[in-house]
Amino acid sequence: MKGFSHFMSGVAVASFCPWSIDAALQGNPLFFVLGGACGILPDTLDFKVYRFFYNHDIYITPDPGNPDPQYIADEMARAMDIAVTENRYVKVKLVSIRLGADFWQQYVVNIDNDKKEVSVKFGPVVNTGQVPVDGTENQYPTVARAPMKAKLIQTYDAALKVDIFDGPTIGLAPRKDGDFDLDFLPWHREWSHSLTIGLFLGVLFALLVGIITTIQYGWVSLPPQQEVLTTWAAAKQWLAAFFTHYAIAWQSIVTIAGCYGVHVVEDQLGHMGSNIFYPFTKERTPGLKWMHSGDGIANFLTVWVCCLLIFWNLHRAMPDPTFHFGFVHLMMVGLVIPGAVFAAIRWLLTRGQNVQVEKGDDADDEWNELKASGT
Amino acid sequence: MSGFWIVLLSVTAGTVLSSVLACLPGLHVYNIMGALVMGILSLESMGTHVPVDVYLPAMTGMIVGWAMLNTIPAVLLGTPDESAMFTVMPGQKYLMAGRGYEGTMITAVGGLAGAFFIIFVVAPLAPRYLPVSQEVLRGHMHWILWVIITFILMSEWPKGGNRGPAGWAKFFDAWKTLLFGLATFLLAGVLGFILLTRSPVNHEVAFQNIMPAFVGLFAIPWCLLNIISAADVPPQRTTKTLGINGDVILRSVWSGGLGGGLAAYLPIVTGGVGGLLAGHATAQRDERIFIMGQGVSKFVYYVGAFMLLFVPGLNLTRGGGAWMIRAIYTPQGKADYFMILGCIAIAAAISYLMISPLAKLTLRLIDRFNYRHVSSVAMVIIVVMVFGVTGWMGLYIALVGTGIGLIPVLFGSRRLNCLGILLLPIACNMSGFGETITGWLGLT
Repeated sequence: MKGFSHFMSGVAVASFCPWSIDAALQGNPLFFVLGGACGILPDTLDFKVYRFFYNHDIYITPDPGNPDPQYIADEMARAMDIAVTENRYVKVKLVSIRLGADFWQQYVVNIDNDKKEVSVKFGPVVNTGQVPVDGTENQYPTVARAPMKAKLIQTYDAALKVDIFDGPTIGLAPRKDGDFDLDFLPWHREWSHSLTIGLFLGVLFALLVGIITTIQYGWVSLPPQQEVLTTWAAAKQWLAAFFTHYAIAWQSIVTIAGCYGVHVVEDQLGHMGSNIFYPFTKERTPGLKWMHSGDGIANFLTVWVCCLLIFWNLHRAMPDPTFHFGFVHLMMVGLVIPGAVFAAIRWLLTRGQNVQVEKGDDADDEWNELKASGT
Repeated sequence: MSGFWIVLLSVTAGTVLSSVLACLPGLHVYNIMGALVMGILSLESMGTHVPVDVYLPAMTGMIVGWAMLNTIPAVLLGTPDESAMFTVMPGQKYLMAGRGYEGTMITAVGGLAGAFFIIFVVAPLAPRYLPVSQEVLRGHMHWILWVIITFILMSEWPKGGNRGPAGWAKFFDAWKTLLFGLATFLLAGVLGFILLTRSPVNHEVAFQNIMPAFVGLFAIPWCLLNIISAADVPPQRTTKTLGINGDVILRSVWSGGLGGGLAAYLPIVTGGVGGLLAGHATAQRDERIFIMGQGVSKFVYYVGAFMLLFVPGLNLTRGGGAWMIRAIYTPQGKADYFMILGCIAIAAAISYLMISPLAKLTLRLIDRFNYRHVSSVAMVIIVVMVFGVTGWMGLYIALVGTGIGLIPVLFGSRRLNCLGILLLPIACNMSGFGETITGWLGLT
């Protein structure tokens, strides 16, 4: 899913925590901010931190002064050759070609298993908005080709298109049958997209909050005892005092783990999947393939349903509302009826037309969408 | 003269006036409205009563005309206000392809679609549902602002770090733009604290308090960029068709209506922020939908915010126009609401009809003169405007704003971060710790 959908999902999860709303009503936005931030955090860790520390075996860096598709094809073939002959995982970086302050030379790498060759075709020059510059579409009509020694198994349909900002990373993993797998963005969802990491970050934050609480208010103090308590009763009383004293700390653990976790769960609905219980699991669990991360309707529905859920939770928390309505009523008025009206109008407007919806790969969409929308 | 004709003439006059003035770069409709409000107040103090049937339709027409026509300086002269900043990039692309007229008119169709959306969708539903949402969300606006700030800061893409071996050097290269973005947001926020707490602008022009800063943050850097880059604008051509259909308009209304609606309803959230959020939520990549959606968003933001003041049972004050009207008039139920809706419809029609000739006139100007000279003249007009309204102090604020507004231009970070000028101080104030910050800054 796209960043904003994850972000809003995090805020929605936070709204289910009663302490978030209580704190907000007292002017403290902490839990809602944590919710949104943690909702988007797994992608932030990958795209803004980890990828810059990810080492590559081969950097394919075309010369902007003399862009040569054959060089790219040959280097790709060489990387594949190394993966097969040396039987090791090879990480390849396809570097973008920057032609000017706002211009990039687009190129696409294709794998043809039937012909056992890798081909590279230069596309148009695009601006940073990924819009082609007029007249540059057929500047390089040549398709460069290089032979591959083995077949490449793509677990998802990644189009290796390189244009603005950073180029993608691919991992070439040799298989026992002599072919090899292609991992698109192997650094993505490797460890960050994990429920355990969410919990760990929650605990880390809670420790920080706990230390601040202790410095500010001291350690847990019990009221003076009037009678002698049993060990169990004393333990219960101490625990109650502990959880009250460090309320923000444990509430932060729940909020962070929940909001971070919802990102992992949502990504599991797509194709690529996540490494759900890292470090206990080592590889991504393939997704349910119910949707692509760039699907407009799925993303919008997620955002909108989240808004309605937040609204519902805020309404539920009102002590004495003037207006009374139920959940079904809210969903009908806020989602079903407007959605049906929109769909009906759209159907009327597009009757008899061939409306084509572009579908991309899960990871490819996320990579390109993030670059395009985050400018 | 009957009330009907007074209203009709007033709204027509207001629309025509603001449509022409909207073509001047840097001038905001709220500057003119502020001057009018001050004029009305001084007339009232002298015992001359100005009928509400005259100034209310006129001001409605001014807002509508400006919301529609300010596309011209934004797209053709590259001098956007904050709400139009997203229109500039694709708009200038159209200009550079000789299709500036087309880009302007697609945005205008978006504005007209926004008018239909307000009158036929929002207006009938608003009195029933907006009071409900207002009751639920009251008390929660502060964290909504903080959440929006968090998203703005977290969603910026690191533009560097694309080459070289992995490691800290690459990381810092990538984070350079993000850190400059953050610095822009914080500096703009500090400027906002100063202007909102102890504005150096003369109290007599308090309505224009924030205007010089906005001009400095958004319009002047764009002018400077146009002057320095000295791009040659190719000969412009006009077209009879815009290559749009009902589906494109519907989807533009969907995304633009959402963005503009959010901006109109939520305090301090401006059209640019609304557009950003709606763009992320609806994931529209079609360029025509994007441009038209910005037209819808801009219109719904300015006009919708103004309309909220008149919604029976709600009477929500959002946007500069509503605040100024509130100073001289309290809305009186359904009669005012229907009058305002009628005025919006008439003004939208008039201003839409005006945009084509005015756009052609501006294009003729661009064709005739060097674009660098046009941008220079635009900047001179902006500076004169700032000086005329707020004096030397206003110019000084604009200069400081320009310094901050140039950071994103020079370092490739997001210009939206300049909105820290409003978002940061208002969010702090709404959460109740604004005074602590102003205390730290030595302002209180």
